[in-house]
Amino acid sequence: MTRYLLRRLAAVAGVLLVICAVTFAVFYVLPSDPAAHACGKTCTPEQVALVRTQMGLDRPVYEQFGGYVAGIFTGRTLGDGPAALECSVPCFGYSYQNALPVWDLLTDRLPVSVSLALGAAVLWLAGGLAVGLVAALRRGTTLDRSLMAATLASASAPVYFTAMMLLLVLVQRLEWLPYPDYRPISEGPAAWAGNLLLPWMTLASLYAAMYARLTRASMIETMAEPYIRTARAKGLYERTVVTKHGLRSALTPIVTIFGMDLGGLLAGAVITEHVFGLPGVGQLTYDAIFKADQPVVLGVTLLAAFFITLANLGVDLVYAVIDPRVRYA
Amino acid sequence: MSVKTTAAPCLLALAVLFGTAACGGGTPAAERSGNGPRPPAGEAARGGTLAILSNQDFSHLDPTRNWTMPEMDFGLRYLYRSLVTYKAEPGPASLQIVPDLATTVGEMSDGGRTWTFTLKEGLKYEDGSPIVAADVKYNVERSFAPELPGGPNYARLVLAGGEKYRGPYRDGSLKSIETPDEKTIVFHLDRPVAEFPYYATLPTFAPVPRARDTKAQYDNRVFSSGPYKIDTYDRGRQLVLSRNEHWDPATDPVRKALPDRVVVKQGLRQSVIVDRLIADQGEDRTAVTYADVNGESFAKILTNPKVRARFHNEIRGCTDTLAMNTAKAPFDNPKFRLALQYAIDKEAYQTVKGGPASGTVATAYLPPSLSGGVPQDTLKIPPTGDVAKAKALIAESGVATPVKVTLSASTGDKGAATAIQESLKRVGVETEISTFDPSVYYDTIGDTARFDGLALYGWCQDYPSGSSFIPMLFDGRTITDKGNSGNVSLFRDRETMDRIDGIRAMTDLKAADRAWVDLDAAIMRKTPMIPLLWLRKPLLTGSKVGGAFGHLIWSGQFDYATLGVGK
Repeated sequence: MTRYLLRRLAAVAGVLLVICAVTFAVFYVLPSDPAAHACGKTCTPEQVALVRTQMGLDRPVYEQFGGYVAGIFTGRTLGDGPAALECSVPCFGYSYQNALPVWDLLTDRLPVSVSLALGAAVLWLAGGLAVGLVAALRRGTTLDRSLMAATLASASAPVYFTAMMLLLVLVQRLEWLPYPDYRPISEGPAAWAGNLLLPWMTLASLYAAMYARLTRASMIETMAEPYIRTARAKGLYERTVVTKHGLRSALTPIVTIFGMDLGGLLAGAVITEHVFGLPGVGQLTYDAIFKADQPVVLGVTLLAAFFITLANLGVDLVYAVIDPRVRYA
Repeated sequence: MSVKTTAAPCLLALAVLFGTAACGGGTPAAERSGNGPRPPAGEAARGGTLAILSNQDFSHLDPTRNWTMPEMDFGLRYLYRSLVTYKAEPGPASLQIVPDLATTVGEMSDGGRTWTFTLKEGLKYEDGSPIVAADVKYNVERSFAPELPGGPNYARLVLAGGEKYRGPYRDGSLKSIETPDEKTIVFHLDRPVAEFPYYATLPTFAPVPRARDTKAQYDNRVFSSGPYKIDTYDRGRQLVLSRNEHWDPATDPVRKALPDRVVVKQGLRQSVIVDRLIADQGEDRTAVTYADVNGESFAKILTNPKVRARFHNEIRGCTDTLAMNTAKAPFDNPKFRLALQYAIDKEAYQTVKGGPASGTVATAYLPPSLSGGVPQDTLKIPPTGDVAKAKALIAESGVATPVKVTLSASTGDKGAATAIQESLKRVGVETEISTFDPSVYYDTIGDTARFDGLALYGWCQDYPSGSSFIPMLFDGRTITDKGNSGNVSLFRDRETMDRIDGIRAMTDLKAADRAWVDLDAAIMRKTPMIPLLWLRKPLLTGSKVGGAFGHLIWSGQFDYATLGVGK
């Protein structure tokens, strides 16, 4: 188990390094003058030259990349003289437009995105699994067809459409919910959840629909396996057959997808955060792209890659728990 | 900053819908559209929390780097005080300057080459330490530092020795600013500048103590000399201000400082902000919009009397224009350029931009706020254009039609560009529209090698004088190959430049104002640009906000000096 974990962690580090190199090349090497982008629209040529030196763009590309990676572990001093900027560990670059290290911006926004992703995940897992399970067990009935039609409609609606409809109905017309206005959980769980309920519902409506269809398909396939027939022949209760033998096995592909989805969302749900004005990593990404703040875009890309690879690792570890046929090799 | 930021696109259908609503009753048109100066709305009391809902972060709150109108308004009214400031009153009264940190609006000597200011007694920072003249000098010096880009460059343009000075971090003290004692500051200029007191209203002339200067990071934590100080600032999320207990209202007749707290919530979607303020529920009753109300929401606001009463759209001091590259054919032909003045249907352009609530058809480069409140109209062209006259002028110019030209616009202005395209088609000028992302648009048309043909452009006043408008747009000596800003039409006219120099040398400001208006008329006949629209600033408040009015200086933004929360 330990060797497996170490091997997987090494693989995660390798993947992150490759992603870092590729994104670094995209954001720092390809554009004609990343210093001008980083400095902003009103910079004079002298100021752009200063930022170019601070960013180390006057050095060879391999040296720039090496400095960037080393800065993550050791911190960096960007530039020298009166213009020198300190970027402490872990230094994921410096946003000249925000006058802050990228890491500070990311950690400031992360609680919002984590709150959004985890809350939505609970809703879509509970809703998706329940609907999928019921539909699979009532296969071919009117209930099954109705549920699948509803999930198809829900999965087909773009996130921004769902968000606007929920805002219109639940906030503007019925006035059941407030306009989302993020409150940290430290201000009270009720305020935190109350203001996130609408974004959670928006994300969950999309993901729950997909998970319901996936659960249904997986359950139908699993329930047709010979070992299910054997379990029934042994005289087990149907509930035990479904939950212990059927659902447990059917969950394997769902856990895989869940890891990917959650990992991606932890690094920011760009559209949902933008529509509801939630100040998370997704909103930071949107602003950074709009303002061509490349150090931030690079930092967010690495954060997303980190969460997705980490979630994949977590999924692999969970496999063995939910499916005894899987063993660490 | 003077370059006009690109407005969001407006849906033509909704603009038409708004137009229909505006034609429905017997109320005068200006009142129906909510146009025109209006007294401060609502009762405001001391106390409470004012929320400012914004779709964006501030670019810069560092007074050295703060150069966009709404941000200057916010910074100067809440966080720092300059030597001189503007009155906090609606309408033309807001254009008057009054002493702020200084005891007077400045004393001129040496024929306008030297300006002296004396600080008031009892001025203090947020920690109770005294504000001294050396701190004002230090911040002016910071405005020269290449490490702190983006701020107003007026001090750099006029202070003696400024052309080689690179700020206090590299070159120490600037000799042309003297502080003989803690209360006195003397500026020595390299030429007479009668309107230097206007420069002294800019945040460049606010104090920054050397010990508190954190260079680029000062943007994130300004040391307050104004009525509020920063409690927390999570960039792009939220800025919270609380009272600066050491600010003495006896030294400050301008700022009312009514709310106990000011909370700026950032990163919200603009349409959601407007919907929230229309709904007017809970805490949103004590909130105001920061950015422009989106054009699509006009119909919802103007058709509801209760909401319309909370709608403000003061004139901004900005002019939308159509720039022509006067260095290249066919726009190097003055008669052809004049013909296009007659060809443009400005009403169609206005409709696409959101109708009368978004702006008034422009008949001069200078907005009315710079021509004594009276709109100038040299050519007297009907708002929908004069096609016959345009065709006759094109024939006289010798340019053969049909002629093909390009028209550059940012992506958000595609609809406006189409309105221009349709206008020009009427006189045989075929335009091909090229759109650019807003983040690269000004770089593109500011690159003289890349800009070709026509471009949608805009300019805003920095202070109430034609000198913050005409020289920036039409002085040929300001043109640069890259990053060219202002004179994007590449207009190099000897007579215009001589007249600019002559007006700048005047010490009688009223005579100078008249001369700028006359020069505006003269340039209109040479037509390097075509004025299209004098823009307005559409904003909305919650029902419990009082003292709200758009300030003419800060592009129609609410004057934060008077905003308060009602009981």
